[in-house]
Amino acid sequence: MFRRSGSFVAFHVEGRMPAPRSADFAGAMASQRFRSIEDAASEEASVGWVTPGDPTGDTFELEDLDLDRALWLRIRIDRKRLPAVWLRIRRGQAERSAGRKLSAAERRELKDALMDELLPRVLPAVQLVDVLYDPEQRLALLFGTATGLRDEFRKLWFRTFASDVVESDAGSLARRVGLDAAAERYLDEVSPVPWLRDRRAAAAVRGPRRMVAAGAAAAADDDESAERTAEEAQA
Amino acid sequence: MSGGTGDGASHAFLGEEFLTWLWFRTETEGGEFELGAGRVAAVSFDDLLEFAPLDDDETEHTLRKGMPTRSVEARAALRTGHRLRRARLVVAHGQLVWQLVLDGASMQPRSVRLPEDDEEAESMEERSRERAANFLLLNELLGLLYREFLRIRLRPDYLGSDAERQARWMASEG
Repeated sequence: MFRRSGSFVAFHVEGRMPAPRSADFAGAMASQRFRSIEDAASEEASVGWVTPGDPTGDTFELEDLDLDRALWLRIRIDRKRLPAVWLRIRRGQAERSAGRKLSAAERRELKDALMDELLPRVLPAVQLVDVLYDPEQRLALLFGTATGLRDEFRKLWFRTFASDVVESDAGSLARRVGLDAAAERYLDEVSPVPWLRDRRAAAAVRGPRRMVAAGAAAAADDDESAERTAEEAQA
Repeated sequence: MSGGTGDGASHAFLGEEFLTWLWFRTETEGGEFELGAGRVAAVSFDDLLEFAPLDDDETEHTLRKGMPTRSVEARAALRTGHRLRRARLVVAHGQLVWQLVLDGASMQPRSVRLPEDDEEAESMEERSRERAANFLLLNELLGLLYREFLRIRLRPDYLGSDAERQARWMASEG
């Protein structure tokens, strides 16, 4: 069942996308399906698509993804690492039997041997991350906020569909909410309202006129400066 | 592959101004917002307010629990020209009610809690569909609220009209 709570990051989808309930869509996801690293003998990560119904990445049934208005996609990220505590234990053993500290080369050799021996037996850490894709709004909600995860998502999306996802923020959202042309143009030059222009003035604030004056004065200064520049240019 | 529009950092202040405007509007005109096409959303502020510092050296102000919008500290922050950086909101649309923390600079919701599941939804699939639709609807409502703010904020006479009214409210004792 889909979650009832959590944080998400909204992304705008740019460029051409395969029809959402088509074989092309499922095929694109299958091409970047999750691949297991359970038996890998090196420290590595695997990032790929799975479906909510099958966390292995072996199947991509469209009905597993379909939530009417949106598609429910799922990313699986597995990371395999040599447990640091095992390295410390083995290094301690080696140093005790040698009666001295190991050299840098010996430590490297020990680590390589330990990776060959232990990593095939170490299970990777598994992370499953949901994505809601609304094809009509060209919107993808990623249910995770870590910077690394957002980067992995962007890369995976691009590899899968050859289209970009752009993270929504106050600026990019402003350009997508359907403002009129004049308001959109003004977005390029709008600056913060100087509710209080100078922190030192904070203590001296007596009332609303002073706060507004900060904004009005700034605007007036800009106007005067623009007029001066125009006059100088004419001269 | 592009990383973004480049607008993010430069327009972060707009998201913070949006949150501060939401607060102003809910206190002065009530929390109902007409969003066009007959849609109405209601917004109220909950138990978290975080103010953006005026510069990098300033101590950050975060107010939690109770009703921070009613606190002396919150009014003091407004009087000294601080914008809201983050706030916990309750958003209602018809019978649906969401709770979330909205980050102004990124305009991304955090710690979202969806409306209660429809009791008539019988299967897991039905509930999943409903929950997915409610996440998308929340995102849409936030976009529409932001548009209402921007329509006012980007008017040429903003500084002399709505901003002046908001400044009076910010400077008031509450």
